[in-house]
Amino acid sequence: MISWSNFLSQFFNGLASGALLALISSGLTIIYGTLGVLNLAHGAMFMLGGYAGYVAFQATGSFLIAVIVGSLFLVLFGVIFEFVIIRRFYSRPPEDQLLVTFGVGMVLVELVRWGFGSLSLTVPPPAWAMGVTPLGFMIYPTYRLVVLGIAAVALAVLYFVLYRTRLGMIVRAGIEDSTMVGMLGINVDRVFMLVFGIGAMAAGFAGIVNAPVVSLTPDMGDAILVQTFVVVVIGGVGSFPGAILGGLIAGEILSVTSMFNPAYSEVMLFAVMTLVLLLRPQGLLGLPSRE
Amino acid sequence: MNFIKPSRRTVLQAGGALAASAALPRFAFADDMPPIGTWPAGSQGSSVTIGAAVPLTGTYAAQGADELKGWQLAVEHLNSGDELIRATSPKTTKGVLGKEVKIVYADSAAKPAQAVQAQGKFISDDKIVLMTGSTSSAVAVATNHFAQREHVLYFCGISGSNDTTGKDCVRYGFRQDFYGQTAAAAIGPVLIKAFGKNRKAAYMTPDYTYGHTVTKAMNDYLTSQGGWTMVTNQVSPLGAPDYSNYVTNIGNTDAEFLINVNWGHDAVLSTQQAKQFGLLNKMKLVVPYQIPFLAKELGAETTQGVYAATDFWWTLEDQNPLAKQFVEKFQAKFGYRPEWGAESAYTSIALWADGVERAGTFYPPAVIKALEAGNHNNTMVGDCYIRAADHQLVRPVIIVQGKKPSDMKNPEDYWQVLEVVPGAPLMQAPDAFGCKLGDYT
Amino acid sequence: MFRHRRFLIEGLTALGLVAARFVLPHLNVSPETANTILVWGLFGIGFDIVFGFMGMLSFGQAAFYGTGGLVAAYLVINNIVSNLLLALILGMVVAAIVGIAVGVVALRRTGIYFAMITVAIAEMFFFIENNPLSDYTGGENGLPGVPTPSIAIGSFHYQFGTDWSLFSFTAACYFVGIVIGLRIIRSPFGAVLTAIRDNPLRARAVGHAVGRYKLAAFVIAAAYAGFAGGLLGVVQGFMPPEAFDFDTSGQLVIQTAIGGTGTLFGPMVGAAVWLFLRDFLQSAFGLGATWKLVLGLVFVVLVMFLRRGLIGGAAVLIRRTTTRPAPPAPEQSAPIEAPAIASVGPARRRQEAPFSGPVIEARGLTKAFGGIVANRDINFAVEQGELRGIIGPNGAGKSTFFKMLTCELKPTAGRIIFHGRDITGMHVDDVCQLGLTKSYQVNQLFSRLTLRENVIIAALAERRGTFKLDLLRRIDRVPGLNDQVEGTLQLVGLTARADVPVAELAYGEKRRLEIGLALASSPSLLLLDEPLAGMSPVERAETVQLLKNIRRGRTLVVVEHDMDAMFGMAERITVLHEGALLAEGTPTEIQRNGLVQEAYLGGVAAA
Repeated sequence: MISWSNFLSQFFNGLASGALLALISSGLTIIYGTLGVLNLAHGAMFMLGGYAGYVAFQATGSFLIAVIVGSLFLVLFGVIFEFVIIRRFYSRPPEDQLLVTFGVGMVLVELVRWGFGSLSLTVPPPAWAMGVTPLGFMIYPTYRLVVLGIAAVALAVLYFVLYRTRLGMIVRAGIEDSTMVGMLGINVDRVFMLVFGIGAMAAGFAGIVNAPVVSLTPDMGDAILVQTFVVVVIGGVGSFPGAILGGLIAGEILSVTSMFNPAYSEVMLFAVMTLVLLLRPQGLLGLPSRE
Repeated sequence: MNFIKPSRRTVLQAGGALAASAALPRFAFADDMPPIGTWPAGSQGSSVTIGAAVPLTGTYAAQGADELKGWQLAVEHLNSGDELIRATSPKTTKGVLGKEVKIVYADSAAKPAQAVQAQGKFISDDKIVLMTGSTSSAVAVATNHFAQREHVLYFCGISGSNDTTGKDCVRYGFRQDFYGQTAAAAIGPVLIKAFGKNRKAAYMTPDYTYGHTVTKAMNDYLTSQGGWTMVTNQVSPLGAPDYSNYVTNIGNTDAEFLINVNWGHDAVLSTQQAKQFGLLNKMKLVVPYQIPFLAKELGAETTQGVYAATDFWWTLEDQNPLAKQFVEKFQAKFGYRPEWGAESAYTSIALWADGVERAGTFYPPAVIKALEAGNHNNTMVGDCYIRAADHQLVRPVIIVQGKKPSDMKNPEDYWQVLEVVPGAPLMQAPDAFGCKLGDYT
Repeated sequence: MFRHRRFLIEGLTALGLVAARFVLPHLNVSPETANTILVWGLFGIGFDIVFGFMGMLSFGQAAFYGTGGLVAAYLVINNIVSNLLLALILGMVVAAIVGIAVGVVALRRTGIYFAMITVAIAEMFFFIENNPLSDYTGGENGLPGVPTPSIAIGSFHYQFGTDWSLFSFTAACYFVGIVIGLRIIRSPFGAVLTAIRDNPLRARAVGHAVGRYKLAAFVIAAAYAGFAGGLLGVVQGFMPPEAFDFDTSGQLVIQTAIGGTGTLFGPMVGAAVWLFLRDFLQSAFGLGATWKLVLGLVFVVLVMFLRRGLIGGAAVLIRRTTTRPAPPAPEQSAPIEAPAIASVGPARRRQEAPFSGPVIEARGLTKAFGGIVANRDINFAVEQGELRGIIGPNGAGKSTFFKMLTCELKPTAGRIIFHGRDITGMHVDDVCQLGLTKSYQVNQLFSRLTLRENVIIAALAERRGTFKLDLLRRIDRVPGLNDQVEGTLQLVGLTARADVPVAELAYGEKRRLEIGLALASSPSLLLLDEPLAGMSPVERAETVQLLKNIRRGRTLVVVEHDMDAMFGMAERITVLHEGALLAEGTPTEIQRNGLVQEAYLGGVAAA
């Protein structure tokens, strides 16, 4: 089982699945970093993105439109969610924030179950990305290569927004010192709403892009949520580069360790996270002050 | 804190499980049928109630909803004295022993503790005379032991583990459906016959007892009878969000067969990704324990040519008039052709009703003895009987193969039935899996 | 919070449980449901001690719940232990031992990181239970065949049934659990936990070994979880594997939040509401799968509008209708008069043989942060009974210097000698126990406690040492505590305001409490970091008077910007400049010192 070619395959596969994890996690980490809210509904938002895309795809038959509609729907959802609920929780203890986002996550899952049933639904990949591509050391599903590319581009766009725009500057300042941003006379309310929208979009975009890889079920967000937490903690809570690094590491751990004993690959992820927390508590790229 | 006063002791012991029954005149019962479980409180009125705990949320929700419909149809048929249920339970007129049958149900989320708590509530609120429901063996095993403790009969729903009528069997628990051992013994010969000896197989196994036992049963059979080899066994946790790493490992072997033992949505996802990685082009997929709605969720593109063992498939209607009736009546009521969860649920209720009718009483030990009598029942899959030694229904296993999309006659025509393998030769010796049934009282 | 009507709550609990035994059956509540609620409630008592009282959110309690349950079930099913109660206790002990191991790792972090480590560890436990140990744990099928308990005393034998008689057993367990829980939170130990929740930094600074308290509380929670896990097996007749699920930890958190944190009863109330709604929505409305959607909506609304859970919400309602307002802040707070020589021990009794020479001495103290040197080679000594002032322009390194003296910061080089003993590198709490403490420039109070409770926390450290596991002792039984607290309150002139929550105090009062917290631990050397910061002239005058009062029998070192106050108060003054010692002498000498003038005025001139 542990051959050079299998290692190469798994390493590449880890990269591909890690990129997607990184994308979802970046949404979680931006929201936490800026707003200080750990969003337990993030997994449900990932799921919601998939279903929104499904609906759009059913209506139009175009994968591109599905991706756009799915993402925009999640931005809208994020903004409304922030405005109606999250906003009231900034001044409340962190456990209240956890509870309310957990509750909203549950409502979303059950709402989707109510609307779409429990059977899984599929969104086919676009016709030009069907089939498999030989990579030399392995053959790989073409669409997964596309996902890797899309995730990389999306992360680059997010990087640009965060590091090259005024909004990004505010967000990053907020991550380092959230009280300061308020003092600078910036309309924090609007910025926070936008940040939540962007974070939701990252999850939703990943959800719809990932839809052809998995099949959609209302519960699909649960397992992803736990993994994104691990990613964010390994990389450093609130750190955007950390989410990317953490995502890739998590992807590699899941893939590479499965060569030795597949049953242990999931638990290895937690073992590594614990190790990171003990040796470098703020995460690999996190700021020491955030605890 | 002294809630327990010796003076109350006699009352508690004699009164049995229920406060309500303690209030009844005790001399009303014959000495040979003392109060036990919900007897006699549960059957004193004009109706009796069945309690179902079934997943309506969580990953097994789809299978749970299908099961529930099977019970609902069975209960409706009992109360109307429908000819379909009378084919299996010939003594039935209307209801059971003349009493109307009701069903109460609750969401178990496929969690054992939640299922047991729901059944406990039904026992005390509704004085149920029968428990049913499960989509996983964990719930079936837990409810088995709960049934034995509470002295209330239990027919499990979907449960594929050998343990349910093996080491975790109980006097009060019964199983209608096929399981790991019979699945492997039924599909194994078909595979060897079709593909010959000395082939290489990769396995995908969910990391829990059901998965490991089915994989072992399959591998043991294929190795000993056909000289097949297991080139890899990819064990994955329950509810893994992605199978690409497992699938990649399999892709790097020279396996000719992919034997997928995953269950529920895990089976859907793992199969789907195996296809995406091109595995299904070079390997033949085998599903030893077919999951209701698998083909519907995957699509015929993926399931064409796949070999599977199952409890029931609707096209049996071509071979069995009861199956035809069932499929028609079910479809008329619920709008789709039933999966085997519904069939198993329906048949379980019919078997129970027959046991009660033959016993002539709801008194649980008498019903159990009637069910253990070796009576043969006519069902939608043919002649069946309950094996007294382990309470397993001896019943055929259906081997199916996925149809090509172009061969499908209707949108639900995913499988063609290859063989109806008679049940008796598939069964292990009754004590092979450590079954000890326990007491009647 | 630290004063309680004895046995009132215990009595009501007993009454409630007995009543429940007879009322619930008539309300169509099944014994399974009632028992399940109590198991959750018992499980939650420990969790609430850690979360509600100590403020650490653990998402991994399932690990202990499952461990305790499986150990107990395994022992009794395999006839290794015949007595069920003994098996439950052994399960609890194993869970507690596991709690020690997990706690040592997880408690090194706080906040969200702590929560994440507990998640990770619990997931690993789940895996271990389900995979390598499945031969012992039954894997996903759990361990069936857990019997009901029985009592045998002499010839009397009673076997609990599975019906309401079992409720008597679980209710008895819950009652014992709640009585012990109440004792714990009312003990000095429990008081320290609330202090850790409010301000771990200060709890350590007044002399409590915060880490050991956290570990102890964590282990207590693990023990509760372990026992409750065993009880779950008894109630259901089998030990369900889902006890290890992440969902189990999550549900515990949710139920506790619904019921109310920091109440001990919250988890039980929350479980009752959750299970009731679950059954009710399904049976009464026949909602089918949509029950969870409705419950989710109800839950979101509850969280949005009830800030501290149902119990918290009810408490607020009751308080609104019954409370009198707290005594208003006096226009001019109680004047601080000259010495009512308070009974606060002037210095530590537990000191070794009388010592002559400097109380504290710093030798070549240096601190560098990366490349920046904040303190360079400072030599410094203070004699017994002295009131020493430390001044210096902004950025002179005064705060860093102070932090090193109290061992909050470890020096890069140099040594600190306190009473002839080298304390370099010691822990803050241990140093405080030796009689050295400080008051902070920015108030470090226990914000959710009253003024008196604040002082009690500080005095407890002096009375009990860094750590004591007096879980069952009543706080008013700590010898000498009351005198010490009253004395301190009197000394800082806050006796009249003692029962006001800190959040309602005026700024000047908070500053005095800040000093009071330091005083309450009876230091022989007190370091005061800008005690006059942010005060009005009147408040300044009062505080100066206060400092003059408290210096009797103590040695004081004061950092202050207010030169006038300093020159009027201190006997000797040390001047720091750019991280190094610039000058030292009497106020007059310092005022005349050219270097000092240049350091201060030079900055001004350059500006």
